[in-house]
Amino acid sequence: MERVRNLTQAYSQTPWRKQLKFVVLFLLCVVFIALIAGIYLDVTARAATIGREILYMRSEIAELELTNASLTTELAVLTSAKEMKTRALDLGFVSVEKGEIMYVLVPGYVPPQQPHLAPPPKPTKVIAANLPADYRQSLIDWFREQVVPTISRAVEVSP
Amino acid sequence: MNNEGTWRYTFLTTLYSLMAIFIIAQLVRIQTNPEQVAHFLEQSKIFDGDWRPVKPARGLLYDRWGKLLAGNTTVYEVGVELAQVRNPHSIALTLNVILGLDYAEVLEAVSQEVSPKAVYVVLADYVSQEKISRLEKYRTELENTTSNKRGEEPPSLRGLVYVPHLQRSYPEKQLASNVLGFVNREGLGYYGIEAKFDDLIAGNVQDMWIPRDPNLVNEMPDITSGASIVLTIDRAIQAEIEAILDQAVDFNGAQSGTILVADPQSGEILAMATTPRLDLNEYWRYGEVFKDSTPFNRAVSQAYEPGSVYKVLTMAAALDSGAVTPDTEFIDVGVIEVGGIYIYNWNSAAWGPQDMQGCLQHSLNVCLAWVATQLGTKDFYDYMRAFGIGHLTGVDLAGEVTGRLKTPGDTDWYEADLGTNSFGQGVAVTPLQMVMAVSAIANEGKLVAPRIVRSIIDKGNQFDTEKRLIGIPIKPETARTLSEMLARSLEEEASDALVEGYRLAGKTGTAEIPTPYGYSLSATNASFVGWGPLDDPRFLVYVWLEKPTSSPWGSVVAAPVFHDIVERLVVLMDIPPDNVRREILASH
Repeated sequence: MERVRNLTQAYSQTPWRKQLKFVVLFLLCVVFIALIAGIYLDVTARAATIGREILYMRSEIAELELTNASLTTELAVLTSAKEMKTRALDLGFVSVEKGEIMYVLVPGYVPPQQPHLAPPPKPTKVIAANLPADYRQSLIDWFREQVVPTISRAVEVSP
Repeated sequence: MNNEGTWRYTFLTTLYSLMAIFIIAQLVRIQTNPEQVAHFLEQSKIFDGDWRPVKPARGLLYDRWGKLLAGNTTVYEVGVELAQVRNPHSIALTLNVILGLDYAEVLEAVSQEVSPKAVYVVLADYVSQEKISRLEKYRTELENTTSNKRGEEPPSLRGLVYVPHLQRSYPEKQLASNVLGFVNREGLGYYGIEAKFDDLIAGNVQDMWIPRDPNLVNEMPDITSGASIVLTIDRAIQAEIEAILDQAVDFNGAQSGTILVADPQSGEILAMATTPRLDLNEYWRYGEVFKDSTPFNRAVSQAYEPGSVYKVLTMAAALDSGAVTPDTEFIDVGVIEVGGIYIYNWNSAAWGPQDMQGCLQHSLNVCLAWVATQLGTKDFYDYMRAFGIGHLTGVDLAGEVTGRLKTPGDTDWYEADLGTNSFGQGVAVTPLQMVMAVSAIANEGKLVAPRIVRSIIDKGNQFDTEKRLIGIPIKPETARTLSEMLARSLEEEASDALVEGYRLAGKTGTAEIPTPYGYSLSATNASFVGWGPLDDPRFLVYVWLEKPTSSPWGSVVAAPVFHDIVERLVVLMDIPPDNVRREILASH
């Protein structure tokens, strides 16, 4: 029994075992830091990619708006009073004279009304500032807001 | 490892350690010094992003049915990023051929060295989509044909960039140009609606922060485009009126012409045509088209002595006040003295006994001057003011003038003015003022402000304008009586203004033109004002031809133009002949 105790003590006090403990602890720290760094890098990279995608989409929207404006004007050119008259005459239509019109009372006929040209209401826009913090905080922001104050409080409480 | 090598390693280790310690110490020093922290944070903000002015799209202009009268089209700024340029000669030559730019100037601009002050150079702006397509096609061809070549610098358009932006465009070109006005390349509105509502249509230029941090990209605000405006103008009517006006000016050898069509009940202006007109897409030709301070829109910016069309107002005032009745008899001896001057009729003849309808029908100056004296100076000018003469109508167009109504108390008013004013001489009005004033007679005595804007569309909401009653200068009975007198005048005169099937009221006008040396003996202003259908007025038309050479008389020159306009209006506005309309109403 005494021999076993001696062997155990000798084993626990061997220098290589202490070194191993230190190395494992160090490696654990490294792995932990690497893990955190990896997660941080992944989240940041994704945020950056999405940010760039949003920028790209914004520029696409701007381009489409320009195209839309041009096409609207182009359509107006093609349907302008002069163009339409020329096309109508080319197609063999003639301008109606007052004596050639027969007026008929059409029950329920509604004459043309004033056009409503206001655009339809836009969908509700999500403003970044209104998003929950979880969706807009970086890891460092979270650490600064959540962890640092906790540590500070802990330090203040302990004498 | 010998001793010689050891000291070297020791030295390097010490050096690097010291450097590391120095860097760490510096980091700690900066981080712990609040002033330094603030300073560096401030410095870093410079690189966080850029403030860029963002110009919103200019609002659109529509006619009353939503047809686009002024829109926007994409044009391009062509520039070079100097750092990217490979072959300046290619760029200069290509832009010379396709855009017509000066080869030497482009070459000089493109060849300059990149510096903090010269990174990007603008070479041309407002380049059309078509030309950009040609440039792009040529660039692609160059890249395909020269990509495999090695050795000397191959032809290349590398560095050339196109930045799109919007430019004002007018799809109807000249149509309603006098109403719309135009926008120059700096985005400033000139004349008409473009000038009057420039602030509103242009929108607000916003300085926008463009962050470089992609995490902040969601913070970019939306830029709202400028307000759009729906006019009361009817494109189809405007087009017809302009065609008739051009023909009338040409046929009669007139110096200029103006025609207004309005709804007398609502005050809405359906058409406003004047000469000359400008293709608004080529606004830089303004100086060529509008020579010698010619007004951009005579309908609101040029006051003139209207002549006999003004007699309608004099008679309305006299009937309303009770100074005369339709049956009041006047013996016309061919001359009357008012305030020391003698007034004669247009043909210098004496027309003998006349009732008030006869006075209007034969357009007798002597009779109307007498009517004005019966009315009295104070009442005459009170009525004229009530009709809006001498005041701005308040129409939403830039450049409106007040005209001139001299009244007792003014240093240049004489008693004789009462006599001459009664038949539209010595008083200056704009065509629009006449339209507004005469509309009160067509509209049961109610004076309604003329309107050119039907709706304003701003930030997604459409705001409709309302009819604005200015006053009631005459009683409804007076308005009806005078309308009937004017309708009978036209019918008994067998005027060229009459249109078969429709009962119309109207009055011709032939005005002498004042010059610095007295009234011109060789030129007149020919006018006509009329409205219909008499029992339910839907339109009021004002015609003014300046200095016609075919004939000096309004009845010969302007009345047929009114006839032509009404023939088209009844078709375009779906107004059946009076008998058909009554049948429809009776059966309803």
